[in-house]
Amino acid sequence: MNALASVTDNPVADFSDTPWWLSLIKALMLFVFLLLNTLLVIWFERRVIGRMQQRPGPNRTGPFGLLQTLADGVKLALKEDIVPKNADKLMFWLAPAIAGAMAFVSFAIIPLSNEVWMFGHRTPLQLTDTPVATLLVLAVAGVGVYGIVLAGWSSGSTYPLLGGLRSSAQVISYEIAMGLSLVAVFLYSGSMSTSQVVTSQKSLWHVLPMFFSFIVYVITMVGETNRLPFDLAEGEGELTGGFHTEYSSLKFAMFFLGEYVNMFTVSALATTLFLGGWQAPPGFAALGMNGGWWGLLWFFIKLWMFMFFFVWLRGSLPRVRYDQFMRLGWKVLIPLTLAWVVAVAFMRAANNGFLGNGQISLGFTDIRRSLLLVIAAVIIVVFAAAWAFDVRRSRAEAEKAPRQPEEIDPFAGGHPVPPMPGQRLRESRPALTGARTTTDPEEPRG
Amino acid sequence: MTNYSYGPLLFFAAIGLGFAAFSVVAGALAGPKRYNRAKADAYECGIQPSPHAEGGGRVPIKYYLTAMLFIVFDIESVFLYPFAVAFDRMGLFALIEMVLFILTVFVAYAYVWRRGGLEWD
Amino acid sequence: MKLGGAESTLFALAAPLSVIGALALLFARKAVHAAMGMALTMVVLGIFYIAQQAEFLGVIQIFVYSGAVMMLFLFVIMLVGVDSSDSLVETIRGQRWAGLLLGLALAALGLATIGKATFPAGTGLDRANSQGNVSGIARLIFGNYVWVFEATSALLITAALGAMMLAHRERLSERPSQADWSRARIKSGRNVAGLPAPGVYARHNAVDTPALLPDGSTSELSISRVLKARGQVATADKELAISQELEGETGDMTRRGNGDDK
Repeated sequence: MNALASVTDNPVADFSDTPWWLSLIKALMLFVFLLLNTLLVIWFERRVIGRMQQRPGPNRTGPFGLLQTLADGVKLALKEDIVPKNADKLMFWLAPAIAGAMAFVSFAIIPLSNEVWMFGHRTPLQLTDTPVATLLVLAVAGVGVYGIVLAGWSSGSTYPLLGGLRSSAQVISYEIAMGLSLVAVFLYSGSMSTSQVVTSQKSLWHVLPMFFSFIVYVITMVGETNRLPFDLAEGEGELTGGFHTEYSSLKFAMFFLGEYVNMFTVSALATTLFLGGWQAPPGFAALGMNGGWWGLLWFFIKLWMFMFFFVWLRGSLPRVRYDQFMRLGWKVLIPLTLAWVVAVAFMRAANNGFLGNGQISLGFTDIRRSLLLVIAAVIIVVFAAAWAFDVRRSRAEAEKAPRQPEEIDPFAGGHPVPPMPGQRLRESRPALTGARTTTDPEEPRG
Repeated sequence: MTNYSYGPLLFFAAIGLGFAAFSVVAGALAGPKRYNRAKADAYECGIQPSPHAEGGGRVPIKYYLTAMLFIVFDIESVFLYPFAVAFDRMGLFALIEMVLFILTVFVAYAYVWRRGGLEWD
Repeated sequence: MKLGGAESTLFALAAPLSVIGALALLFARKAVHAAMGMALTMVVLGIFYIAQQAEFLGVIQIFVYSGAVMMLFLFVIMLVGVDSSDSLVETIRGQRWAGLLLGLALAALGLATIGKATFPAGTGLDRANSQGNVSGIARLIFGNYVWVFEATSALLITAALGAMMLAHRERLSERPSQADWSRARIKSGRNVAGLPAPGVYARHNAVDTPALLPDGSTSELSISRVLKARGQVATADKELAISQELEGETGDMTRRGNGDDK
């Protein structure tokens, strides 16, 4: 009951020993950290996908091709910056700046580790934390969508407009499911501050009790960042490049950078909210490898696990059709997540003793009677829903299937057709015998 | 007294914005400039670009519905956050009120689903 | 009331931004620029709320207003397709003067009221935030304002209903699925493998060039109807001539007699 122990929902990380100049240094370091990671991940993605497709990937520029991204960046900077004739100049310039800038902001609230000594001050390895930190990520993502819409609109061209609209509709649809999947985490940790969420996972990472939220979050984070298999905004076959079709030079690079930094942000949030953040995996904590600078290592490993997952998805899955994608978001993820939130709230209520205090001994541990009842009720509801779904589905299928006639003439269409199960062959015409003796169409071909 | 501040956040946002603005401007300055009428046209896979309406053209009304539903659920989740955070400190009453709220909003959702407002084609 | 040093600095920096956003809303010629000005004002307002330690409110201001409501505005503006070429002539005579007059009157009233107001130090802030800002909000929502909160859900229903009435087009028949299309194609027996793709040549790789059939003629089916109606279909003559010339040079004897025997 960590949540009950903390009196407020304010951050537990203590920034009182962090002078302003140290914040500046930390901000600059975080910024460089993100940029370097982006450079690295683009190389990483191309190498890993290369391996998956049995080719080497970039391996010429620098050791193992590590400098490839840098070379590409320099090349982009030296390319001509084209502004189309039809473009709305102001918004055409503003859009990549918004997309690039907003991607960075959210990372400020991610705890990379707990307190470390830095320049003679004891400070958390986190730029800042607030009581509404996680919500801030969602808010910033919402503002970041403007980059996409404006880029599509201001290009003055059809493909970008369609791509931008699609992409923004996609991002806002998945933002709802993402926001709802986080509610369960807040229920358990009693706070939206990232440092307190991490602290509340000291004994048990949230991914276990909240596996469903985790799954929904992982799906939505792919949808939110416009990555394969959900990169419908730039379906090359239909929309060429999507909202950034008309962009070139560093403006294009800004969208590219924004996409990758966003990937880091959502991965870092997943790490923080579900995988224990900077905390060491079970077993390592006892070895004294927990917190401090060790935390950075664990955080880094978990973060890159998600990055590998992104790359893996891209290497193995084809693109989803747009209507299927929207159906998944609106008709599956949102209602299921809402139901899950209600179920978790009831379980939490039972656990807190809001529904009665009766205890039942299970031999090894005591458990509240109401909690058992709630779990039983949830299981019953799930099974009932699955049963109702099955019944409706089989009924719909029965209605949709074409009615088979009782009798079938095997030669009606000119080819011999075997009867369906339960059908009778029409034997009135001596079709089989007649075909063999007189007019066999296969005869002349030998 | 609070032991955190929003200052670093603003500063970090300023770094990000500065970097993005710098890159966008630098890209325009560093590259060559070779004017070509075809280059400034909209890109449509090599064919003559289709006439594009001044002011961006019109978008399908479907997006209006999506944006409106987004607001509805956005507000629902906004109410869920303080509920979730403070749940341990509040009790059964809040849970009942929240379930009522979710059910009421669910009516709207069921209606929209039933009428086919969630279909895309 | 006295502002802290950091807060007054923030206000000095951000207040002009919000005013610029508001002025852009009023004076921008393009509707999208006006909407972006409004979005800027919303974001800055959110920052002000946070500076006043209403943190949840501030973030929600950005989350809901800038993220969701302004997005709706933007979609609506794009939907209607308003731009500077639309007529701005006033339809009601004297509207502008009346508006100006009333605006000035409102400004005078506001200035007079604010000028008289005094700002004592805020009280009760620490008590309200004693359990944290978000918990304080929750206490209010599920305490004093629980009826308003429940009424909001009715409001949300109304919003969804209204949007459906305005924007939803009822589908009269079942939508044919991908499988239905494929079945119909096979049943009709025409273009079973799909329509032919347009021509792809080394010189001109575009959808407006028809595909060449084996006999050298062009396939009408490979070109979009839209391009045909616009009269933008390119011909494959040039490519055909070049290919035949090349074939002639390499001594290919399979050429047909359509115009290449000199």
